[in-house]
Amino acid sequence: MMTPAPSAANQHVHEAPVTAPRADCVADSAGGLTFDVTDRGGSAPAHLLLRRRDSEQEVRLPLSPAADGRLRAALPSSVELPEGRWDVYVQVSDGEPCRLAPGVNDLRALVDRVPGAAPGHVAARIPYATKYGNLTVRSWLRDPHAEAGELLVGKDELSVRARVYGTRLAPDACVELVARKAPAAVVRAGLTADRSEFRFTVTYPALRPGLWDLWLRPDGETGPRVRIARLLDDIADKKPIFIYPKVTLETEYGRVTAGPYYTGDNDLAVKVAVVE
Amino acid sequence: MSFLIHNAYGIGGTIRTTYNLANALAEQHDVEIVSVFRHRDEPVFTPGSRVRVRHLVDVRPEGADAGDPDLGRPARVFPRAEGRYEQYSALTDRRIAEHLATVEADVVVGTRPGLNAHLARETRRGPVRVGQEHLTLDSHPAALRATLRGLYPRLDAVTTTTEADARAYRDRMRLPGVRVQCVPNPVPRPGIDPADGSGRWVVAAGRLAPVKRYDLLIKAFDTVRAQRPDWRLRIYGGGRQKDQLRELVDRLGLYNHVYLMGPAHPIEPEWAKGSIAAVTSSMESFGMTIVEAMRCGLPVVSTNCPHGPGEIIDNGVDGRLVESGNVQAIAQGLLELINDDALRQQMAHAALTDSERFDPSRIAERHESLFSALLARGGNSPGGRARGALHRARGALLAGVYAVRDAGRTASGKGRTS
Repeated sequence: MMTPAPSAANQHVHEAPVTAPRADCVADSAGGLTFDVTDRGGSAPAHLLLRRRDSEQEVRLPLSPAADGRLRAALPSSVELPEGRWDVYVQVSDGEPCRLAPGVNDLRALVDRVPGAAPGHVAARIPYATKYGNLTVRSWLRDPHAEAGELLVGKDELSVRARVYGTRLAPDACVELVARKAPAAVVRAGLTADRSEFRFTVTYPALRPGLWDLWLRPDGETGPRVRIARLLDDIADKKPIFIYPKVTLETEYGRVTAGPYYTGDNDLAVKVAVVE
Repeated sequence: MSFLIHNAYGIGGTIRTTYNLANALAEQHDVEIVSVFRHRDEPVFTPGSRVRVRHLVDVRPEGADAGDPDLGRPARVFPRAEGRYEQYSALTDRRIAEHLATVEADVVVGTRPGLNAHLARETRRGPVRVGQEHLTLDSHPAALRATLRGLYPRLDAVTTTTEADARAYRDRMRLPGVRVQCVPNPVPRPGIDPADGSGRWVVAAGRLAPVKRYDLLIKAFDTVRAQRPDWRLRIYGGGRQKDQLRELVDRLGLYNHVYLMGPAHPIEPEWAKGSIAAVTSSMESFGMTIVEAMRCGLPVVSTNCPHGPGEIIDNGVDGRLVESGNVQAIAQGLLELINDDALRQQMAHAALTDSERFDPSRIAERHESLFSALLARGGNSPGGRARGALHRARGALLAGVYAVRDAGRTASGKGRTS
């Protein structure tokens, strides 16, 4: 039996893309971003719209003609972008904003980034593709900021190398581990400082089972707290990439596994779990 | 020109290659890509506006062919020994046959052995039949090689991605009158600036599969770290070996130096973050990532494994070939480039220049000249046999001349830069 030849209905001609418009994103080492989108024509003014997730906050950036028929918007480091996830849209005049998909994200300037030592915010903005394939910018704004570097996992301890930005370390500076579910439970660790760089060691047996968040106290126990985090690179979500060995040890709480990890906000934490 | 492909809507080397080639050929010719299957609404890669893409069998959940009983009946034309056999059926047999019986093109190109078998048996009289081999003869099971040996003589040409594989087809398949020619895969210029070579990162990219031997790369990086703890390694890609490799990184205490990054698409911006690319495979049928990295301005340290790397990298000029399977050789290759900034920059520059020969426009020209030569000599199809043995003999002779000339070009190209 003959089947009719495939008809014109299965022709797939690509004249107009039906998928979401894409934005190419370039980062500079100061923390600024530029967004390039294809100019769809029309004379109405277009804007890039950043909407902070779970809030009413918006940032509107004008899109201006750039080279080769594209429109460009700039988000310089001087424009403050409060911490959070900012979904990216393009909006033509007052029309309905259209969500953008990521094109080419050129984030090479963010790799091994070292912000200036001058006081002020450390701003990190990392564009990324959401699990639905949309473009979102993850923003952090910290003043001061404590950046975690190498972590060294020992037999029953964790050594951390870090660096503080935006403040000085007083002679009695220390690190605090705070139990996430019981903030009153605090374990302190001394630190060794070399100007803005510092090192400290977390002794696992001192921690009861649970999640522990790590804070720097640059002025000692009574001063402000600074979250220890890893922000200064091109990786929006550290958790699945910065992975460290866990150790198993006997403590007064029984047999536990302990190890460091980065939270969904890229803050450094330690997990201690009882081995069943 | 009409390309026949397994699935133009997915992700993969053959799909990307076919789009790049079709886009370049469409500058001068009418080009269509015919996809046996369609499993999603939109292709992942965007074809150029002049390339038509259509499918033969719609397997989307609500697609026109969903539930067709012939989808469950085994294929008889598509060879049983082909890796994709299970996906083919009586329905694909019929649709492909109808397509090839009516195809309106001067040149019909198949993109995998099973489809080349269809081409050999079912293309209407007239068009030139070209079978592309994206894998290698060695990687085909013996039963498939036997099937192809019977069918490929009915093709006008077989193209391979390396000279080594072309030699294998010429020496071991005995294909009288069939032009066997190497045409490398095209890799377009990336849409971003090349790497500036300042970052202290080695980058690798590919499936986390045993053939890629990332275990060797990680072990080699242990040696690199001992000498140059300021350098680190990123491996992009996903795959079944992820947990094993993770364990190796932890066991060697390399968790501050080696990162398993997961898949990245597009990959070009990730190459641009590195200063050296590493390939440690035990086999590369072509070596697409090598060319990609070079086009982003990275010198590549690669094992000299079969088949592609040695034909892409000009050893010591635009990259470094090291002994396959040898951890210390890989480490020394990396350290040579890590420890010599001037050499690394010089090789990076050469990598950019030398990889231009893989530009789609240049690769399309090579296909074009092959196609026109085949059209000029007339088809090799059974119906065309009346034209006599003379044409075929002449064709075979020409194939020899071309092969020599190609080899000469490669040799002189290497002499020029060393």
